[in-house]
Amino acid sequence: MQPLVLGLGNDLIADDAVGVLAAREVKQRLGRRAHVVESSLSGLALLDLMVGYHQAVIIDAMYNGRHPPGSIVRLTPADLSKVVAPTPHFAGLPELFSLAKHLELDYPEETVIFAMEVEDPLTIGGSLSLTVRQALPALVNQVTGQIASWENEYERSLSP
Amino acid sequence: MSEHIVIDPITRLEGHGKIDILLDDQGNVDHAYFQVPELRGFEKFAEGRPAEDMPQITPRICGVCPTAHHMASTKALDDLYQVEPPVAARKVRELVNSTFYVEDHALHFYFLGGPDFVMGPTAPKAERNILGVLGKVGLETGKEVIGLRKELRDLMTMTAGKVIHPVFGLPGGISKPLTDEIQQKFIAGAEHAVKFGEFSLNLFNDIVLKNQEYVDTIISDTYTNRTYYMGLVDDRNHVNFYDGLLRVVDPDGKEFSKFPARDYIEHVGEHVEPWSYIKFPFLKSVGWNGFTEGTESGIYCVAPLARLNAAEGMATPKAQEAYELFYSTLGGKPVHHTLANHWARLIELLYAAERMMELAADPDIISPDIRTIPTAVPQEGIGVVEAPRGTLFHHYQTDERGVITKANLIVATQNNAARIAMSVDKAARGVIKDGKVDDGILNLVEVAFRAYDPCHGCATHALPGQMPLIVRVYDQEHNLLQEVRRGG
Repeated sequence: MQPLVLGLGNDLIADDAVGVLAAREVKQRLGRRAHVVESSLSGLALLDLMVGYHQAVIIDAMYNGRHPPGSIVRLTPADLSKVVAPTPHFAGLPELFSLAKHLELDYPEETVIFAMEVEDPLTIGGSLSLTVRQALPALVNQVTGQIASWENEYERSLSP
Repeated sequence: MSEHIVIDPITRLEGHGKIDILLDDQGNVDHAYFQVPELRGFEKFAEGRPAEDMPQITPRICGVCPTAHHMASTKALDDLYQVEPPVAARKVRELVNSTFYVEDHALHFYFLGGPDFVMGPTAPKAERNILGVLGKVGLETGKEVIGLRKELRDLMTMTAGKVIHPVFGLPGGISKPLTDEIQQKFIAGAEHAVKFGEFSLNLFNDIVLKNQEYVDTIISDTYTNRTYYMGLVDDRNHVNFYDGLLRVVDPDGKEFSKFPARDYIEHVGEHVEPWSYIKFPFLKSVGWNGFTEGTESGIYCVAPLARLNAAEGMATPKAQEAYELFYSTLGGKPVHHTLANHWARLIELLYAAERMMELAADPDIISPDIRTIPTAVPQEGIGVVEAPRGTLFHHYQTDERGVITKANLIVATQNNAARIAMSVDKAARGVIKDGKVDDGILNLVEVAFRAYDPCHGCATHALPGQMPLIVRVYDQEHNLLQEVRRGG
C-alpha cells in the first residue's frame, strides 16, 4: 500500500504554504510511490484524511519562535505535547490521534511529521520568505528520504 | 495602573490568541485584554482580481467557514451585477448553507465547546477534552457525530464541489441543477439531521439543564453582558441564515433598526483601539462609548444567541418549540448570558436540519432553471449571510469590467470583537480574586470567549494543530507574574 503524504497549509498565505508546496514537489519526484494530499484544514477536520493508510508523513509549517526560520523538525505524534485543554477552535494532532484510536478508526501505524519553522504565516497573497524558500528543497528531501526508508524496510522484510 | 500600560500591537504577529490580565495592588483585575491574530493584506490581495473569482478565493482564505464565505461572496456578485437568481438556485444555495450549519454546529457543540459544557467549566483539566466528552456522552454518540458530518459533507460535495473549495455559486444562480437522485439523498440526510438535532437538545437538557451548578454558571453575572443584538430575519422576523433583512434589537429586546445589507455602512461603524489591529464594529446611530454595556453603547453582538434575540421566533416547528423553552427557562427576552450561546447553537442546529428537510422536499428545487445571466455593468456589490459564527459582510467595488478596485469583509468574529473583549474582561474580574490564579481559574476566563466559537481561521493549522493561546498575568507595575500557554 502507498504511504500518505499530507501537505498542510494554505497556498494563498505566505509561508503558511510551505507544507503544500513541499507536498507538490514530493508528488513530482515520487509519482505513484506515495499518495499525496493537500489540505488547508486542521485538527478534527483532518480526521477522515488519514483513514486507511498504514504509514503517513505530515508536512506542516510551525510558528513558535523556538527555532530559526527555515529549521526543519522531525516529530512523531508521541513527541507532540499532550493537549488536554479545550482549544478555541481546533483540536491538536495529539487529540486527533487519540480520538481516532478511541473511535477504532483504521489509522496509520507509523506517522512522521516534518515541520518547518516559518517567518510569516499571516500575509494573504504573500510569497514565501527567502529563508523558507531556500530551505524548501531540504524539506522535500527529508520527506522523500522517509518514504525511501519505509520502502527499504518493506523490501528487507520480504527477503529471507 | 492600566492607563500607563501600553500593549504593543506588534504582539498580534506572534500568531497567538492572547489574553493579558492586569492586576491592581490588591491582586484583583484592573483590566483584561483579549487579542487574536489577524490575517493581513486581504484588501490589497483582492484588488485587481476579477470579482467573479471571489467566491472561489475567499473560502480558501478561511478554511473554517468556507461555505459561508462562498455564499456571502456569491450574493455580493448577485448585487454587483444586479441580478436575481431563479427560485431553484436560491433554494439550492440555502439548502447547502443549511447542511453546512448542521455539520458545523455539531462539531462545535460536541468537540470544541463540549468540554466546557458536557464536562462542566470546572471539570479537572485532564477531563476537559474530547475524550472526556466521549466518556460522558458515549462512544456511539461520538461515532454518530462523525458519521453524520461525513454524510452531510458528502452531500455538499455532490452539490457544490469540495466542501473547502465550493464552486457552485455564480452571479445570478448556480452552476448545476440538483438531480432527483441527489434530492433523495438530501431528504435522507435531513431526516438523519433532524433526529440528531432532537437528540442533542435532549442531551443538553439531561446533562446541562438538570445540573443546577451549570445553570447557575450560565446565568451568573460573570458571564452576562447587556448589549444590542444583530441577525438576519425573514419577512415574519424569524431567524434566517441565508437571506432577509438585518434586524437589530436593543438591550431591552425592542426593535432598534431593520435594514437591507446594502445599507450596512449607514448602520455599522468601525472603531480603532491602540492595543489591537482589529477594528471594533459598532452601531453608528448609538455611537462608540468605550467598552461599556447598555443602551448608550453601540456595541452589538452576533452569532447564535444574538440571532435568537434579534428575531421573534424560528421558522420551523420543532425549533420554535425549543426557542420558546429557551426563553421561558432563561427569564424572557433578550437573554444576555454569553454561555447560553451553546444552547442557542443546538436550537439553530435543529432549525437548520428542519429547513434542510423543507428545502430538500420542495418540488421547485430540482428545476433546471438555475441561472439568470447578468447583463448589467458592475460597480458595487454587497452580500450578507449569517455564518455559523455570526453575520458576515462581503463588499466589493469594481471597474466596469468587474475588476475589484476595493474590497472589504467584516467577518463574524470581528462583529463580535468588542463584546468578546468585554466578556473576557468581566469573566476575569469575576473569577480572579486576591491574586489567586491557577489553571482552573484561567479556564473560567477562556470559557467566556469559547462560547462565541471565535473563528481564528488564520495561522491555526501550523503545528501543533491548534491556535496557541497565551494568558499572561501582570501586577500593577506590569511585571509578569504568570504565563500559561495552551499549545504553542
